[in-house]
Amino acid sequence: MTIKSFTAITFAASFSHVAMAAEIDRERFALGGYGDVKYETTEAEDSSAYSARFVPIFLFSLNDKMHVEAETEISINAEGETEVELEYADLHYFLTDTTTITAGKFLIPFGQFGPNIHPSWINRSPWTPGIYGSHGSNQAMEALLPILSDVGVAVQQTIVLGGHQKIFIDLYSTNGPGVEADDHAEEPVEGEHQEEESEHAELPELAFEATSGDNNKDKAFGGRVAYAMLPGLELGASYYSASYDEEESLDFRAQGVDINLIGSHYLLRGEYIETQTDGREEEDGESETHTFKRDGWYLQSTFQTGKLWPSLSGTELVLEYAETNKLAEASRWMVGVNYWLDARSVIKVAYDDTDLEEGEDDQRFAIQLSYGF
Amino acid sequence: MKQLINRTPLSTTFMSILFLLMFSAPWVSAEPSRINGAEVFNNNCARCHNARSLDEFSLQEWAVIMPHMREKAHLTGKETDAVMAFITLVKRGETKSASAKEGALVLNGEALFNKYSCQGCHSVNGKGGTVGPALDTTIADKGKTYFHQKLKNPQFNNPASPMPKMPLSDDEIEALADYLSTF
Repeated sequence: MTIKSFTAITFAASFSHVAMAAEIDRERFALGGYGDVKYETTEAEDSSAYSARFVPIFLFSLNDKMHVEAETEISINAEGETEVELEYADLHYFLTDTTTITAGKFLIPFGQFGPNIHPSWINRSPWTPGIYGSHGSNQAMEALLPILSDVGVAVQQTIVLGGHQKIFIDLYSTNGPGVEADDHAEEPVEGEHQEEESEHAELPELAFEATSGDNNKDKAFGGRVAYAMLPGLELGASYYSASYDEEESLDFRAQGVDINLIGSHYLLRGEYIETQTDGREEEDGESETHTFKRDGWYLQSTFQTGKLWPSLSGTELVLEYAETNKLAEASRWMVGVNYWLDARSVIKVAYDDTDLEEGEDDQRFAIQLSYGF
Repeated sequence: MKQLINRTPLSTTFMSILFLLMFSAPWVSAEPSRINGAEVFNNNCARCHNARSLDEFSLQEWAVIMPHMREKAHLTGKETDAVMAFITLVKRGETKSASAKEGALVLNGEALFNKYSCQGCHSVNGKGGTVGPALDTTIADKGKTYFHQKLKNPQFNNPASPMPKMPLSDDEIEALADYLSTF
């Protein structure tokens, strides 16, 4: 099939599809989002604090083919300053019935936690699962990845296999990470572990914050492919790769697999991630490239006790384990109880115990009220 | 993009498979001709979060929210339209019931069961969705009073229940209960 034929077919499919929604007196705008209030104690910092966030999502429907959306996270930091972050701001163009093109700043489809599950009214825990960077609080565990959000373009394809089976495909290209500024460099640790700590500190710190610029011409790229057997199962595999230095000689790569199992009264979510970060080492006056490898995983199970026993209506038990291996080894247990006030509002009470191979362990306790709106 | 060319065989293989699938997709898609919007709503919402009550937003707001969810949940355009058709049925039904109770009431339980796509989430005789409980023995086990209460206020016994409040009169609920009593 020629490119011309392919183009003709996709555009014909695109414009022949008349949305039923056009029959509705459509508004242009809708407001959604979520927010939360949390009380948290942490032993490592020997502190307790209340925190609050408000995360509105602005949705604009330009026409049946184009949709614009933006999410901002408004919060107060420890110094009392109001922080506003643009989590995403993008445009979706529905090219065909099954193909969507996205441009702008978007949540990168790596795994399931980052693009879909991290909002606090969706996440069954008041914390991120450890292998992902903190989203609203600090954590002792050194994460493998942040919640990835970047500026670029993406293509999404859905393949319907019939019988509730689907394949999801996402491809994207974005600016990618840069080098973290030196002001985040770690303080030397005194004592017998100083040597190991300084060795560990050579793992380059990357800046994943999205910018409308890049320190090199190379673009990050990646994708995710997933198989879904609706409504109970989704299995995915993700890949991400980028050069992060000005010379485009040092790369960061991440691979992951994820699972989301939805039963009649339980949820099981998990991800395994590997990362490789190139770093430059000076040895005998010569510069060599060394690749730092890390990996980690988490598994979170939720037992919807309210579905099993009507007298416990609205309650859930949550159990989660996470660990990171190779460089900054750590493990973490979390146990929690959730009570759903309604389908979108939940009170979570949780405790976690983080065990670091090197460094100070941490125990945290949190009560969080989270609401979607 | 240089990594795509220069780097590991794993990355090249992975990305090649993605490209292949991506561009062969329009020719292998096997979307059914008739899509049940209620089933799509419940099968996909619960993948990440509790399904939201249809009462939360107006019909016009749902029409703006659904394109957002189309991308988030990898819905097709036809599935999105089917969900909007389901929401429209429920929301417009509300208006109709509340305003004038115009026209003759449909008191055929089976017709009501099909009209409101109950089988999208619930099964009878082993056929239908699995998001909600099977309804074969609901009337026998819990009685008609419970059934009336559940349809009038779906969250009365479970605040997190995603079941929408259907625009049904007492007589229509009774007809549905009679129909479900036959299983």
